[in-house]
Amino acid sequence: MSCVREELTALCDGALEPAARERVEAHLAGCASCRAARARIEATLGTLARLPPPPEPSPTFAQRFQARLARQEDAPPRFLARLPWRYLAPLAAVGAAAAILAGVGLRERRQREFLARHLDLFESYEAVASLGDVDEADAEVVAHLHELEDRP
Amino acid sequence: MVLDPDAALMVAFQRGDPSAFRTLFERHARSMVAFCHHFVRDAARAEELAQDVFLKLHHAAPSYRPSARFKTFLYRIASNHCLNELRRGEYGARAAEPHGEAVDLDALPGSAATPEEEAVGDALGRAVAELLQRLPERQRLAFAMCRFQGLSYEEIAEVLEVSVPAVKSLIHRATEAAAEALAPFAPDGGEAP
Repeated sequence: MSCVREELTALCDGALEPAARERVEAHLAGCASCRAARARIEATLGTLARLPPPPEPSPTFAQRFQARLARQEDAPPRFLARLPWRYLAPLAAVGAAAAILAGVGLRERRQREFLARHLDLFESYEAVASLGDVDEADAEVVAHLHELEDRP
Repeated sequence: MVLDPDAALMVAFQRGDPSAFRTLFERHARSMVAFCHHFVRDAARAEELAQDVFLKLHHAAPSYRPSARFKTFLYRIASNHCLNELRRGEYGARAAEPHGEAVDLDALPGSAATPEEEAVGDALGRAVAELLQRLPERQRLAFAMCRFQGLSYEEIAEVLEVSVPAVKSLIHRATEAAAEALAPFAPDGGEAP
């Protein structure tokens, strides 16, 4: 009777309600197989009871815990520590990248405005070159622009 | 409502009494180290895990409600923490030596253990560690809390948030597995009926 077998460990642990205990004990009286199963469980519990005791905490256990606790209490505010940085870190990185891009965009916009205000200055290649933003290949093309003007 | 002494200490700590937490720590430190030791089989690591549990308890104190038994609150934190550590795969039970032969039960540790008794006790400890390692997580927790920590079926049901019949079944299956695994240590040397 597997239903009684399932109850045998609880019986040995004294964890059965009185009615269930009576029912299981009545079954045991007439079932040698279940009695043997109960004996096996009791022997196992006896063996477990003879396990060596678990190790005692070391003498500095409490002291080390208090040190950890103190360090943790001195740590940054808990709400910062509780933020899910695993998820926020990528967001922070995206934010930083956006700030850089916004900075670059602002700089380019200022350059365009500067050009618009001082367009006359940039009709001269020398004036542009004096800003140091012209590379060698571009300078060569600009230097030969006048040759194109002669073509039909 | 009459609070159990631990719950009263927890409430006192919630109200700002740090000495109440220290008292809780002193009362439960030993059992927590022992509980964690069943999962990692390493004294230093068990202490570290137990300290983690108390740190978590310290942080979780504001969420504690006196309607919950303190012991089940503590063991829920400990169970989750130990399982998480085990899932990281770093702390298996230490390799056990073969223990297929029947052992002399009279040599199991008593009040004054001889070297031979200690050796047998160590072998039994390793066999139990191996058994725990093989058990499914919930069986392992239920078995450890019942057999080594002395929690009742009702308390274990609260910790694991399952019904008492479910706990009964978990403990029964784990005990059957223990009967098999520890047969060489039984008085008849494993001749199960």
